[in-house]
Amino acid sequence: MMSTNPSEQKQPDAWIKTKDSELYINPLPVRIWHWLNALGFVALILTGTHIRYANLFNLMSFETAIKTHNWVSFAVIANYFVWLGFYLFSDKITVYHPELNMRKFFDKAFKQMMYYGYGIFKGAKSPHKVLPYDKFNPMQSITYQIIMLLVVPIQFITGLMMWDVKRFEAPIAMMGGLQMVNTIHVLIYIFFVSFTLIHAYMGALGSTPATHFREMFTGYEEEH
Amino acid sequence: MVYSGAIFAIPAEEALATDEAETEVPVAEQVEESPAEEAVIDKAALRLAEKLKANEKCLRCHKRDKTKLLEDGKEMSLQVHKDEYLSSAHGEVSCVSCHSAIGKRKHPSKSTNITITSEREYTVDMNESCRKCHRQKYTQYKGSVHSALVAQGSTKAPLCSSCHNPHAPVSMVDYQAETGLPCKNCHENIFNAYSASVHGQARINGNTIRDSHIQSPICSDCHHSHEVTALAIGDVLRTTCIACHENVTLLHDQWLPNTGTHLDIVSCAVCHAPFAKRIFDIHLYDNTAGVPLAMQEGDLPIQQQLQAIAAEGGTGDPLEIWKARGGFSQDGAPADISLRSRMEVMSGVAAHQIAGKSFAVRTCESCHEPGWRKKQNVTVSVTQADGRKQSFEADREVLSTVKAVDSISDFYELGGNPNKLLDILLLLSLAVGIAVPIGHFTLGKMIKEYMARGEK
Repeated sequence: MMSTNPSEQKQPDAWIKTKDSELYINPLPVRIWHWLNALGFVALILTGTHIRYANLFNLMSFETAIKTHNWVSFAVIANYFVWLGFYLFSDKITVYHPELNMRKFFDKAFKQMMYYGYGIFKGAKSPHKVLPYDKFNPMQSITYQIIMLLVVPIQFITGLMMWDVKRFEAPIAMMGGLQMVNTIHVLIYIFFVSFTLIHAYMGALGSTPATHFREMFTGYEEEH
Repeated sequence: MVYSGAIFAIPAEEALATDEAETEVPVAEQVEESPAEEAVIDKAALRLAEKLKANEKCLRCHKRDKTKLLEDGKEMSLQVHKDEYLSSAHGEVSCVSCHSAIGKRKHPSKSTNITITSEREYTVDMNESCRKCHRQKYTQYKGSVHSALVAQGSTKAPLCSSCHNPHAPVSMVDYQAETGLPCKNCHENIFNAYSASVHGQARINGNTIRDSHIQSPICSDCHHSHEVTALAIGDVLRTTCIACHENVTLLHDQWLPNTGTHLDIVSCAVCHAPFAKRIFDIHLYDNTAGVPLAMQEGDLPIQQQLQAIAAEGGTGDPLEIWKARGGFSQDGAPADISLRSRMEVMSGVAAHQIAGKSFAVRTCESCHEPGWRKKQNVTVSVTQADGRKQSFEADREVLSTVKAVDSISDFYELGGNPNKLLDILLLLSLAVGIAVPIGHFTLGKMIKEYMARGEK
């Protein structure tokens, strides 16, 4: 396992491109996955809202909403495997390694919260140094682990079940019936509504509002 | 015995008059008779002749317009139309085969009068005599909703003779949709709806649908003629429709998402009788047996069960019944009973108002729209001991409650009227998603201003 101690981090090698004071944090597969996923999530939330509150906004027909939701879902599921494949078959998996020392984790998490709640406003530096093999701060790390390894797969599975209820009759019954499957799917959708908004806002908390967005397009991040 | 059918098919009078009937058998079908077989045929013919001779005796009086005064003060006709009887399929059956209580020397007279309470009671008693020859049909009838109603004491439910005049039975092919008889005698409104439907019209127009000759169904094709069943229970109706419309799944699959689920949950008539009033019907389902739960003999009627639940402080809604029913089963084991919900049409009449394919509902929005469910009636139904469905109105909100997630677990309708708790959570999530950025941004601004003031 890679150490999370910045001083013990691998030094940038040929694979990790550097550009002046910038580090190559997000390789192409991650960037492709991220932005396709972002578009997919927005489309799924909009069409999902349209399906759940049919015709409330009169954006499209119910049939179009269902069809779009289904197609985008499959694209997002396929895209998930781009993400999973990249991290499973590259040494960058270290970015998702959990901090197993609880004291250390809570200490870092508390410092990170203090930074977001106060330090950031007076121009303090983030207590977490973003590095290619340790890019997430403790709060990001725990959030993305839960989301990518638990919440998103559950959303895929419940969505897949409702895409063809008859085909997945047995697993639906095992989960407690169609209403239960739907309720789980809707609860996760509800969570993603606020998550997406807050995620986008936090993306604007770089040195300028556009910094992190630009970084997510180029892959390079300022050393900070 | 090989030729017994051929002999009996000959009108009785001809059979009496001559033995030449046997010579009419086509040459190709003629076979050499052994002496033993000829003896059997002779005996059968002899027995028939004796029966008909005995019947002649009965008909001598009963061909006249005779009546009997019954205990209920009404008169019962004793007349048998001789020609109709002798030319019917029963023509060769001896009168005492059915009227066994009135054999030789037992015929009632003024001194040995038989008292009959009412014509209905007499007919119910006589119904058993049909079983002697028509065992299979009789068994089918005994399993029907008609027979169950008779057993419950109904004075209107049909007996064998209600549809088949025992003294002039006609062939099955004589039952035509154009007349609707005998079903129309009791089910006139339903027959009228059928007549105007795509099925009835096709039959009236010579069974022609879209220039093709297609045998359009009549009452008995769906409901059966003897084991008459109430099709409204469970998905019996769908199975019946699919029996003719075999490619229905394939056709719907071309445009309807989740076809299987739609066909499971939505009754065919909901879309194919587009002007019929629809309902959400919740019924108790026995998961172990895989059939809608039926009331047992001796069970309290469901309304009384509801009243009892209400008296004990329950709300009287179907979820309460589920709880009450879920605790036990007939053999004492914990019952695996759940509530299932289906979309149905409001009445039996509506279920027969099937329109042509071009009139069928094909827009998702006709069901999937906000508040649509609120406008629909909700009924709770149970299968009664006699096989009929009994429904009563329930609270429209019942499908949208949090409890329904568990109790009506197999039913979910997109876009209808989602449950309110999830709506509140969504609004909360949206509020958090907006408030956190605004709050954080504002806090940052305030801190920066405070610090700027401090620096000054």
